[in-house]
Amino acid sequence: MTPPSFRRRAVLGAAAGALFAPLLAGCSDGDGASTAAGGKVTLTFAWWGNDDRAQRTNAAVALFEKRHPNITVRTSFAGYPAYVQKLATQAAGGDLPDVAQLDYRQISQYAGSGTLLDLGPYVKNGTLQTADFDKSLTRTGVYDGKQYALPMGKGTTGIVYDATVFKKAGVATPQPGWAWDDWAEAGKKISALGMKGPNGHTYTGLSDLGVNEDAFETWLRSRGKELYASEHRLGFTTDDLTDFWTFTDRLRRAGVVSQARDTAQIGGAVEDTPMGRGIAATDFNWDAPFLGYPPLLGDQVHFAPVPTTDGKVGQYFKPTMLIGAGAGTQHPKEAAELIDFLLNDAAAGKILGVTRSTPPNEKIAESIGKTLTGPEKEVYDYGRTIAAHGTGAPPMAPPRGDVVLQVSFQRDYQRVSYGMESPRGAAEEYVAEAKRELR
Amino acid sequence: MTTTATPPPRTARATATPPEQRKRGQRGGPAYIFLTPWILGVVLLTLAPMAVSLYLSFTDYNLFDPPKWVGLRNYSDMFTADPRYWRSVGTTLLYVVVAVPLKLAIALGVALLLSNTRKAKGFYRSAFYAPSLLGASMAVALVWRALYNDGGTVDELLSSIGIHTGGWVSDPHLAVFVVALLSAWQFGAPMVIFLAGLQQIPADLYEAAALDGAGRWRRFVSVTLPMLSPVVFFNLVLETIQSFQVFTPAFAISGGNGGPADSTEFYTLYLYERGFTASHMGYASAMAWVLLLAIGAVTLVLFRTSRSWVFYANEGA
Amino acid sequence: MATTVPDVKSAAGLKNSSGLKNNSGRTRTAAIAKHLGLVAVLLVLLYPLVWLLATSLKPANEVLTSLKLLPSHIEWSNYTTALDGISGVSISRLLLNSLLISVGSVIGNVVSCSLAAYAFARLRFRMRGPMFGFMIATMMLPHHAVLIPQYIIFNKLGMVDTYWPLILPKFLATEAFFVFLIVQFMRGLPRELDEAARIDGCGPFRIFWSVVLPLTRPALITTAIFTFIWSWNDFFTQLIYLFDPEKFTITLALRNFVDQSSTSAYGPMFAMSVISIVPIVLFFFAFQRYLVEGMATSGLKG
Repeated sequence: MTPPSFRRRAVLGAAAGALFAPLLAGCSDGDGASTAAGGKVTLTFAWWGNDDRAQRTNAAVALFEKRHPNITVRTSFAGYPAYVQKLATQAAGGDLPDVAQLDYRQISQYAGSGTLLDLGPYVKNGTLQTADFDKSLTRTGVYDGKQYALPMGKGTTGIVYDATVFKKAGVATPQPGWAWDDWAEAGKKISALGMKGPNGHTYTGLSDLGVNEDAFETWLRSRGKELYASEHRLGFTTDDLTDFWTFTDRLRRAGVVSQARDTAQIGGAVEDTPMGRGIAATDFNWDAPFLGYPPLLGDQVHFAPVPTTDGKVGQYFKPTMLIGAGAGTQHPKEAAELIDFLLNDAAAGKILGVTRSTPPNEKIAESIGKTLTGPEKEVYDYGRTIAAHGTGAPPMAPPRGDVVLQVSFQRDYQRVSYGMESPRGAAEEYVAEAKRELR
Repeated sequence: MTTTATPPPRTARATATPPEQRKRGQRGGPAYIFLTPWILGVVLLTLAPMAVSLYLSFTDYNLFDPPKWVGLRNYSDMFTADPRYWRSVGTTLLYVVVAVPLKLAIALGVALLLSNTRKAKGFYRSAFYAPSLLGASMAVALVWRALYNDGGTVDELLSSIGIHTGGWVSDPHLAVFVVALLSAWQFGAPMVIFLAGLQQIPADLYEAAALDGAGRWRRFVSVTLPMLSPVVFFNLVLETIQSFQVFTPAFAISGGNGGPADSTEFYTLYLYERGFTASHMGYASAMAWVLLLAIGAVTLVLFRTSRSWVFYANEGA
Repeated sequence: MATTVPDVKSAAGLKNSSGLKNNSGRTRTAAIAKHLGLVAVLLVLLYPLVWLLATSLKPANEVLTSLKLLPSHIEWSNYTTALDGISGVSISRLLLNSLLISVGSVIGNVVSCSLAAYAFARLRFRMRGPMFGFMIATMMLPHHAVLIPQYIIFNKLGMVDTYWPLILPKFLATEAFFVFLIVQFMRGLPRELDEAARIDGCGPFRIFWSVVLPLTRPALITTAIFTFIWSWNDFFTQLIYLFDPEKFTITLALRNFVDQSSTSAYGPMFAMSVISIVPIVLFFFAFQRYLVEGMATSGLKG
């Protein structure tokens, strides 16, 4: 009864020891940053995007580490939907990374809940330079009077289109000021060609924009309305949404836009969009992601302005993404230094290029613009064309709750596109939820 | 599992024990020391949280700002203003009603086949059981989603015999059944329990029935089923409770978002989204309590109705 | 409770289920048909696993030809890509994290559940009946009712994004299923040994440690294995508590593939899936007896 039990006890003790040591190490990580003896600092930096953006960002970060030998940066990235979900849970745990890429929609939510670091002091003491930024762009990172994030890029939306297919269908190249009805016409002409995509899928002229809240917003603005009138009020009515969804649903039923199950598979990545999968001739997207289409589909893919209503432009320049720091970071100064480097350093600017659209630092934007070629140059030129044509002022930062509503928007429309709900019914459900969320 | 002797009758406590130890046992002191971890767990991780979650269900709480009392608003929103809530209820109920009987029927059927088998029974038993261990894994859920996706095996198989459904995963009318089939795939666990139950049926009952002239089917209905009914009941209750709480397969097969068109928005998935993605912890707590009460009610109904069809051998014919 | 009848009777030729021997010819065809049926079920059942393995070895362009299981050539690069892991975290790190959590859970469950089970099975105390009933009731409690406050507690304690919320509850015997399993087993142990030890002057602790616990080993092994596997697969808890990719488990890391619809990445994705279930498969092969029998006895009233 004795030797085996002693042995067992020893084994258990060793196992417990071996178990708890790494656990304790895992515990001390807290918000991800740590300082070892000798002043070495580790920062965590997360963003969303594809591999190209990851490569460039990691290269820029490596340059930063060279300039700051006492700082190590642990990077991570994910696709947009996964990133947003994870950020939401991290924010709920008060545990944002030291430096994080943020969407315009998230500023109100996270600044308002105290998860973001106030960057004001660092702007004041010069760690964060904003002199060369577009002032109105910089203001988009302000919430409740404080600067919580800085823009990483200035971008706008557009219509990606396949020029070869357009020519085949006899559709003119879209010009600034073209109308939504022109867009629908183009789609009809192309779908009438009866082309087929891979696996015998029907090839349609357009992708179904009913799921896209950004597209809806642009459409709304071109009619003089807006998504949000204030932190607690919508800027549109159920009728507006019903009109939009009826418009897109009608196109879907006529076979002009992608089918329900193809649209349902949208995951955020370019490869998952109907156009990316080779079954639609156009798509609606932001200018930075546009860079993902030519590698997939070829050089005949170009970027065109978003349609207007009676000449009124709905699209706008917004910060494509912002960068902020977690309020709980142990190294705010180093985090600010990293942010400043990524936004203002000329060499970093060259590495990053337009992967996040036109850089906010206007000097860097100009110098890069001279060196760009191919699709990147197209994105840069596109930005200047749209700016020259004129856009309305960017809307207010979406209020808290928009993150959730963006997903609901997609889901409510999906029910319409599967024929399970009428556009009006879905619109009523969405508006009711939005009102509850915003109250 | 190695002892074969039946335990001595419970009157063993009549055996002489020294007075000091008898007293100690009656005081119960040592027992409570053994039970300390469990008691701590019950209080800290079960009872207290239940009370807190009940309280939270009457608040709006986003984890930052202190909970804001809203009274019955969460419940009224849930029941009268949230169509997605009812869709999640409907999806979950549909799933439970399909998956549980399907899984148990297959489990029973295969157990019956196996109980008759002499050769390789152990092999079959283990082989059928293996999916039960793997079925809850993320890996298998991903496989399932791929198999039922557009162009996946199921789509191809059905197309080859002329049924064109496309991928089930992207069809709002079929997606739920993908999850149900994954559940049915894991029939091995209840099957093993059925098998053990079948083995416990005394052979002389069958002999007696055969002597009375009962045929195969009659023996099944009059001997096997009644004798097995406690086990069927046990499996039924367990599987039902588990099915109401399905998460990982629901998450994976829905693509993480209840799609397409909310058709795989299971109750627990919606609860997770409301609590952890939308930061409405109060609402999610209300949903959790409704789930608790619903499961309690269903279990109660099962227990009540069991009196009419569950037959316990020691209660006499 | 139904009397336990040893299997001896079936060995003696009497079948203890609905079949009795008729003429040998009919039994033979019946047996063959039955085996064919069983084999058919087995093939359908194991198909997804075979598919998984095959797809993990296929080059990208063959992935959609799913009816043809065999790849034209084995694409080992799927596995080398898989080793790079997900979102920059290597697969060995992910596996190690999973292992850490599972082993911690095993220790927690085995220790706390055996302690509690001993009290219920062997010790007398006034509240035993109601407490045991309460414990059974907690088996049926949906954990969602306690999930959110537990999350809040761990949040306030600063333990979110650590492994504590995943392991600590196991040390407090929160999984009643295992307490129940071990109780059932302990009740089947002869009390004579307890009595003998008591007469020798051993107190309950000594009896537990030296007499009952060693004999309970099969139930403890079953507990350990089920705990390991369930904790390995416990996606939900890992999802809500872990944010730092360096701390992800392999199960959680696979979540990134859930919203992917392009089949071109199937190769590495399923290679990683295969790797993630290897430990479970290994455990199964090594311990299937304990698992299956553990499952079997849990269903029978003791």
